Amino acid sequence: MLSYILRRMVATLPVMAIVALFVFSLLYIAPGDPAVVIAGDQASPEDVERIRQSLGLDRPFLIQFGSWVWRILHGDLGTSIFTNLPVSTMIGQRLGPTLSLMIVTLLLTIVVAVPLGVVAAWKAGSFIDRAIMGFAVFGFSLPVFVVGYMLAYIFALELEWLPVQGYTPMTEGLWPWLENLILPAIALGCVYIALVARITRAAMLEVLQQDYIRTAKAKGLGQGGILFIHALKNAAVPIVTVIGIGIALLIGGAVVTESVFAIPGLGRLTIDAILRRDYPVIQGIVLLFSFVYVLVNLMIDITYTLVDPRIRY
Amino acid sequence: MALLEVENLQTHFRTPSGINRAVDGVSFHVNEGETLAIVGESGCGKSVTSMSLMRLIPEPPGRIAGSIRFAGKDLLKLSDREMRAIRGNDISMIFQEPMTSLNPVLTVGRQIRETLMIHQGLDKQAAEAHAIEMLTLVGIPEPKRRVREFPHQLSGGMRQRVMIAIALACSPKLLIADEPTTALDVTIQAQILKLMLDLKRRVGAAIILITHDLGVVAEIAERVMVMYAGRKVEEAPVAELFRSPRHPYTQGLLGAVPKLGSSLAGTTTRLAEIPGQVPDLRKPITGCVFAGRCALATDLCRQYAPGLEEKGPRHVAACHYAAKGAVAA
Repeated sequence: MLSYILRRMVATLPVMAIVALFVFSLLYIAPGDPAVVIAGDQASPEDVERIRQSLGLDRPFLIQFGSWVWRILHGDLGTSIFTNLPVSTMIGQRLGPTLSLMIVTLLLTIVVAVPLGVVAAWKAGSFIDRAIMGFAVFGFSLPVFVVGYMLAYIFALELEWLPVQGYTPMTEGLWPWLENLILPAIALGCVYIALVARITRAAMLEVLQQDYIRTAKAKGLGQGGILFIHALKNAAVPIVTVIGIGIALLIGGAVVTESVFAIPGLGRLTIDAILRRDYPVIQGIVLLFSFVYVLVNLMIDITYTLVDPRIRY
Repeated sequence: MALLEVENLQTHFRTPSGINRAVDGVSFHVNEGETLAIVGESGCGKSVTSMSLMRLIPEPPGRIAGSIRFAGKDLLKLSDREMRAIRGNDISMIFQEPMTSLNPVLTVGRQIRETLMIHQGLDKQAAEAHAIEMLTLVGIPEPKRRVREFPHQLSGGMRQRVMIAIALACSPKLLIADEPTTALDVTIQAQILKLMLDLKRRVGAAIILITHDLGVVAEIAERVMVMYAGRKVEEAPVAELFRSPRHPYTQGLLGAVPKLGSSLAGTTTRLAEIPGQVPDLRKPITGCVFAGRCALATDLCRQYAPGLEEKGPRHVAACHYAAKGAVAA
């Protein structure tokens, strides 16, 4: 098992290298000259040239790439063109809110979507099933920003139950932290909940046909034990897979959600960086997201072995 | 005294093409400690009968009517909760497919423990100890290691032993075994049957054995009930039935059993087969259910369904023409 994890870690290296190459090429693929952008509207051609040299943008591609990778391996993601702060510092400052949002959304999704899917499968064909699946279609079809503004309008502006926007770090208390994240998490989680509930239902429907479910009934087990222990554990592999894939959805959705709810997270940083053509920051963020995604995939594979003893690496 | 008394059991399924009368008016009883075999070909309703006893038929589309009196209680009148307290505790079941009847993601130990913890109120340690005891009892070597293993680490025979351990863990009064040996190798079949009989004596359980294997019936049953097209067509003590089967269908079944070594002795004859197919249970049947396949059928059979009549000592059959008490050997 441990050797498997190590092997997988090593195997992520080429993946990360390709991602890095791609991320770095962004600078060349994207239209516009960063040196011109940084220099501003009033700069003379000499100013632009000076900036280009100071950033090393005039050197050959491979050399630029090599020294970039070298610096990243030493933990240096570069310096923001716009703020002149180290990219790692900027990401560090914004990591907390985004991580909080993603974790709360993930937990909310699992807690809501899995039971919904289980109940839908158990009551397949009934009114409850159709209501849940109808709700799932609804969740799929509404864009994050629509749900976000609707929630903010109803629960923050009209009912005044929760704050409209903003973010409070957890160090200032659990509730102030959570209070600010509830609406964004629901908005961001809608699509995700719909997706996971549907997959849970499909996986459970198949499992509930199996002989061992009949055995469990014949043993006198209650409905809850049959559904949530005997059946759900067997249905877990596809569910875990979709939850993992959904994390990619979350990363994309977080950018929009953070804008709607004015959360000072990585999503906002990404948008700002793109608007300013702040390439070192864009590269740093994309690299970070890719790394998180590779890590999540590894975690999914490890989770398989926990839920299904027949899977061994 | 009768432990189980089934009267006029009717299990019907609603299907898009009409109501399927899978079991249609079957009555029988099982005494304490007795072994009753229910035989018949595929689709005759024997498995549905056993599932109905446990109320494991999904309702809807199924519907169970009649009465199933077990130890004085009508199981069909119990609440779901009361029924759950009986399943796996007073009545337990062994299924045909040991490969798929155990949950692949839970340890063998957990699957045995569960019934003990639900029904006997044992805590985890006590249940674990009892589970190991049960595994020893069903002849699984190294039970302490096996309790922590998963079903895929066991062979088919081992898994059926585990199923038996689960079924007998709470010392049930009635064990329903639905083709328990059909999926196993012949050599393992005999071991499993012997094990079931040994344990039945130990626990004092009655057995309902569902099978189409007449060899198994002769070996372990005391009484036999023959089912055809969802109805009981004959019932007799096992020796009586094999000696003088009265119903043409039972005679056909017995005639369809190959005799080992007959080709060596040069006495090979073509195996008797029963021509035709089981009638469509979604259509109402007038007359005898077997009339369509019976060589002896007359207009009487096609118009009037025969009732179950006494044909010998504790021997009933539903046939207009089966002779009454003809053989008295």
